[in-house]
Amino acid sequence: MSGNSAHNMSLKLKIWRQKNSKDEGKMVDYTLDGVSPDMSFLEMMDTLNTKLVKEQGDSIAFDHDCREGICGMCSMMINGQAHGPEALTTTCQLHMRKFKNGDTIVIEPWRAKAFPVVKDLMVNRGAFDEIMAAGGYVNVNTGNAVDANAILIGQENAELAMDAAACIGCGACVASCKNASAMLFVSAKISQLALLPQGQVEAESRAIAMVEKMDELGFGNCTNEAECEAQCPKGIKLENIARMNRAVTKGLFSGR
Amino acid sequence: MSSKSSSSPLNSVTKKQIMGITGLLLCGFVLTHMLGNFLLFVSPDAFNKYSYTLTSNPLIYLAELILGLIFLSHIFMAVKLVLENKRARPVEYHSRTKSGRGSTLASSTMPISGAITLLFLVLHIINLKFGTHYDTEVGGIIMRDMYRTTVEYFQDPLHVLFYIVCVATLGVHVSHGFWSAFQSLGLNHPKYMPKIKFASFAFGIIVAVGFSSFPIFCYLQGVK
Amino acid sequence: MSPLNDKIKKLDGKVPAGPIGERWSTHKFNLKIVNAANKRKYSVIIVGTGLAGGSAAASLAELGYNVTTFCIQDSPRRAHSIAAQGGINAAKNYTNDGDSVYRLFYDTVKGGDYRARESNVHRLAEVANNIIDQCVAQGVPFAREYGGTLSNRSFGGAQVSRTFYARGQTGQQLLLGAYSAMMKEVHNGKIKSYTRREMVELVIVDGKARGVIMRNLSTGAFEKHTADAVLLATGGYGNVYFLSTNAKASNASAAFRAYKKGAYFGNPCFTQIHPTCIPVSGDHQSKLTLMSESLRNDGRVWVPKVKGDKRNPTEIPEAERDYYLERIYPSFGNLVPRDVASRNAKLVCDEGRGVSQTGMAVYLDFADAIKRDGEDKIRAKYGNLFDMYERITDQNPYKTPMMIYPAIHYTMGGLWVDYNLMSNIPGLFVLGEANFSDHGANRLGASALMQGLADGYFVIPYTIGDYFATNKFDKIDLAHPEFEKSLTDSKEKYQKLLAINGKKTVDEFHRALGKIMWDHVGMARNEKGLISAISTIQELKKEFWSNVKVTGTDVDVNTELEKAGRVADFLELGELMALDALERKESCGGHFREESQTPENEAMRNDEEFCHVAAWEYQGLDQKPLRHIEELKFEFVKLTQRSYK
Repeated sequence: MSGNSAHNMSLKLKIWRQKNSKDEGKMVDYTLDGVSPDMSFLEMMDTLNTKLVKEQGDSIAFDHDCREGICGMCSMMINGQAHGPEALTTTCQLHMRKFKNGDTIVIEPWRAKAFPVVKDLMVNRGAFDEIMAAGGYVNVNTGNAVDANAILIGQENAELAMDAAACIGCGACVASCKNASAMLFVSAKISQLALLPQGQVEAESRAIAMVEKMDELGFGNCTNEAECEAQCPKGIKLENIARMNRAVTKGLFSGR
Repeated sequence: MSSKSSSSPLNSVTKKQIMGITGLLLCGFVLTHMLGNFLLFVSPDAFNKYSYTLTSNPLIYLAELILGLIFLSHIFMAVKLVLENKRARPVEYHSRTKSGRGSTLASSTMPISGAITLLFLVLHIINLKFGTHYDTEVGGIIMRDMYRTTVEYFQDPLHVLFYIVCVATLGVHVSHGFWSAFQSLGLNHPKYMPKIKFASFAFGIIVAVGFSSFPIFCYLQGVK
Repeated sequence: MSPLNDKIKKLDGKVPAGPIGERWSTHKFNLKIVNAANKRKYSVIIVGTGLAGGSAAASLAELGYNVTTFCIQDSPRRAHSIAAQGGINAAKNYTNDGDSVYRLFYDTVKGGDYRARESNVHRLAEVANNIIDQCVAQGVPFAREYGGTLSNRSFGGAQVSRTFYARGQTGQQLLLGAYSAMMKEVHNGKIKSYTRREMVELVIVDGKARGVIMRNLSTGAFEKHTADAVLLATGGYGNVYFLSTNAKASNASAAFRAYKKGAYFGNPCFTQIHPTCIPVSGDHQSKLTLMSESLRNDGRVWVPKVKGDKRNPTEIPEAERDYYLERIYPSFGNLVPRDVASRNAKLVCDEGRGVSQTGMAVYLDFADAIKRDGEDKIRAKYGNLFDMYERITDQNPYKTPMMIYPAIHYTMGGLWVDYNLMSNIPGLFVLGEANFSDHGANRLGASALMQGLADGYFVIPYTIGDYFATNKFDKIDLAHPEFEKSLTDSKEKYQKLLAINGKKTVDEFHRALGKIMWDHVGMARNEKGLISAISTIQELKKEFWSNVKVTGTDVDVNTELEKAGRVADFLELGELMALDALERKESCGGHFREESQTPENEAMRNDEEFCHVAAWEYQGLDQKPLRHIEELKFEFVKLTQRSYK
């Protein structure tokens, strides 16, 4: 069914291999032929893994799940960019037609102190859950809610909140930041809730709690370079960081 | 989330805000310093009188102290941030490419441009403030001939070149730092941010060109 | 019939009696309650953290129970509920177009082709409104009107606008709402969340579900966990087909392990095929991508009138196009339920009128909508979907019609549960897509999110209390022989898989299984095909256990080994699905038996013989399982042949 096998490509791949979190790890070279331009990047990896298994090798571990750009599981640094060269695209939705026959592709895991490597290209992003547990929610229990239309939310704010809420928590912001800062991720959640009346009540204490947890986990500081925004597959905006900064300042002054 | 857990008095947002506020104050200093220096173009006396007025006021020591503190906190915070950021990524990438959509030359070189500026600052103070002392008389008052010190210093083309390179670096530094401060302080508004970014860029150019004009002027002026 | 007959049970769904609108409230009142101060003495294991598991975890923890959650991904936020695009139904009647709880109930029973319990469906329709309220309170950014009120749209199969949505990311937003509620309870110390864990065995002690054996996917270690109740919220089994819209890690193992320990599997043949997916592009294909069916609100489905018309779609004049859904179903048109839309796509493709290189696709055309509303309005509604389509296919859907084809999307079947969501094993509760569900033989669009959250937020918090209050629980030591045995069995299974070292990869087996399933247990099924499917699957299963190649070891991450474990279960489940499809000699909803159709090729039910749930009981390896039944009574919605004409 691969209609245009004539266009199939050969690739040189340089991939980070690391047995487990304690292993040192190194870059390993592979070659792969018969890569169809219609393959997704992960399907190219599947093809390589099939080849490795057939040759009695250990398959390359990488995170992936929904393969439609929404779960945030896939996480590869491809040729030095988070999720590869295409803007607004996760690795799973990057297609091989964006590469050329004979290309060398360097594939590495996310690198950050707070994201230790589990194996090969797989990292542990549990730090994001910890930040969320520090305050990324509205304190409301099941059954507490009033009628949905009792809370009016202007369309503009609802849209801005949705823009921020579109974050998939993949960690590309941390991976692409030269300081391995998690500000974009943290600010997206803080912004989403700060823009909605439901989240207003705790806006400042939430911001401070989440920022302090982020610091504690060893993420770097923001230097406003906007590489996170540029490499975010969901287009989360730098404005969110400013909104977070505002909330933190307000919180400090109000002593929350 | 109910109580604030203050593990460190300074969180990453506050640290950035200290950078931003001190940076903006330093921008103010740079701007006034440049405006004052324009008196070089008016006449030697005007420049010397300006310099004399500044230094003869007893408040100058307080002002210098405050300025020094601002500089020190800016530098201290910068070093702290750079070290923390280094620690946040213990293993570097083999290959790293910029997307071309985010980071700029200015934004990615802030620690380097800052360090060059610091070096420049030290040499600048040694060479000019503590440079050769001449006296002159303006309107019956004996005062330091700062004009002569300056012009003499810039007779060496290497000094001119060094100065220009340094102020250009400073221009690059502030072109990112200026808008960045607004961002850190949470003053990012979709409507105004493009204007602030433009102002930041323009400020960088003004600083670089404005300060470069002084050594060139002095060099061409020659010692009379 | 056979002497087996006396072993066949008529199952009791424990459905309350009385007027349909009062059943749930009466039942809630009759349920025993655990005293507020005693709740902390009970513990619950929840496997799966999607909408059902996440919402249950948060709600139970808020009540005071001690909750332990497990998810297969690296964070609970990534469960596959996240991929649902279109929306969530509720009968708020905010649009004043005549919606009501009863209408939502009626539509869902009818849409499910009369194979769901009326009482369950009514409960679902009742609590749907609370779900919207709860999600808004959590900060879910639903679409809003200018005046600040919630926005609604109509969705496949419904004639009223009752679907709430958050752009094309409704599932994501609802899941993040449930996940954040979960994280709140992690913060409060009431939930212990484990990630990168896969359930490999259910542990039953003295007839009650008392624990699980989990495999830590990061280290390969097996772990024992015990609690007073076990909740499975592990989603559906669409990945039996290899190609489906499910996430790659979605699997049936947890549910299937429970089945092998005695839990009944209800209606395994009820699978849903989603009509609007991006067609297959080649052999490398690893999964299929769904395009929200909201697209059918504005897109028109068509194929060329003439067989083999290879012209560019824009060159085919209006008169030579067959808008077959509008032609056959004038009143519902492009908005017919999923099963109807899917089957018709298959029919026109089987006639040779399919498009694309493979001939396995139909057009979904927005030209008229763009002409009517302008490109900007269409972009505002569907922009992200159009972008996604272009990213995958390299074609611009604003200029040329989209190509779509049906794909496996959802499974209505699942573990059998009673009205309290408890399986036939005491203490084993099953929620969301993992249970045999309230959707009958076909699920309406925007109903899955509703069911998952209903089960977790508003049903289980009440029913689990009754189970705790009416049972006694001894403290269980993890060294208990049942735990030891389950642990040894699990370890052996993985050791065995590693030891085979055959010639074919796990994926090759999985693809082969998928092809059998799609060809014979897919959109249209017949006796001959099903019988052959069963025997080919049995052969494939035999080959798998002698010729599969799994490299690596059982320590650290070994994704091949994980997949092998899941495919081993898929092989057995595939056979069970085919068997269920074979025994259900009628067509209903997503289960279309070619032998049972109207002259117009519509599904024809056989209410005389099959107005029941089939609940299969495992009888041992390579033994034919027992088919128990639960009779379905329709007291409120009259049994009629579905018609969408």
